[in-house]
Amino acid sequence: MDYVNIRRQAASIRKGLFDQGYLDEQFYQLEDLQDDASPNFVDEVVTLFFRDSLRLMANIDQALDKCAKDFNKLDVYMQQLKGSCTSIGASKMKTECTAFRDYCRDENIEGCMRSFQKLKREHSVLRQKLESYFQQLRQAGPIECATRPSK
Amino acid sequence: MAAAAELGNVADLALEEAFPAGIRVLVIDDDRVSLKVVCIMLKKCGYEATQCSSGKEALEMLTQNEGEFDIVLTDVHMPDVDGFELLEKVGLGMDLPVVMLSEDSSRETVVKGINHGACDYLIKPVQIEELKKIAVHVLTWRNANSSIDPELIED
Repeated sequence: MDYVNIRRQAASIRKGLFDQGYLDEQFYQLEDLQDDASPNFVDEVVTLFFRDSLRLMANIDQALDKCAKDFNKLDVYMQQLKGSCTSIGASKMKTECTAFRDYCRDENIEGCMRSFQKLKREHSVLRQKLESYFQQLRQAGPIECATRPSK
Repeated sequence: MAAAAELGNVADLALEEAFPAGIRVLVIDDDRVSLKVVCIMLKKCGYEATQCSSGKEALEMLTQNEGEFDIVLTDVHMPDVDGFELLEKVGLGMDLPVVMLSEDSSRETVVKGINHGACDYLIKPVQIEELKKIAVHVLTWRNANSSIDPELIED
């Protein structure tokens, strides 16, 4: 197995995520927290994030489908989602969560729906890229340390 | 006076010698992602972190296990029992320092928290350096709230 190539691919995915604004400095924090005592910490947190965010997004979908426009409820769900995004450094998603909440405040249901579609797309892209990244890392071997690009 | 002062000093000394290691923190947040990240940070600070994802459960835990925690770190906006209710019941009712931790950085919420007795209000995403400082609140709280049993005072 070409470990050098796999590592290079992983590093490239990671760099892309930062360069394109999908992830912010908070993700560096997570990487810093990973150590011998918690060797899979980042992978675990990210997995938890996608599991919980999918559930929240399903709730939001349901709430948007209903005819009653419960902006309060939508805002509460989105606040929760935004919190999780903040914790892992999911920057683009966080921005879209804020936009959605602004639409809620203005009671603009079409705005909410447009914003939510965008959010779902970004969630999907982030998930694909991070899953691919961790898959590469696992293949590359347990002693892999992501190198941090110079800030 | 001598006996009471001695008791006070021994307790303080014990805390200070171990300080800040071993401070027992109860972390409350309905966001499991945040909970996981904050708890690992607390452990790296040398604290014992217990997590709870419900304000309601946290209250039950605190009521049933008095003296088990040194400080409470709580999210503000939670579905059942929120941070403000916890502040009221824990900070005032149970004599424990409470630090709030939230993504909500609006002046209104921060001021509300501090005015209702929160020792501090941290904005998410919290840095590990900020968490290192919460141990200070444990000491400050104890110093501010220590009371001497008058029966122990010798004339």
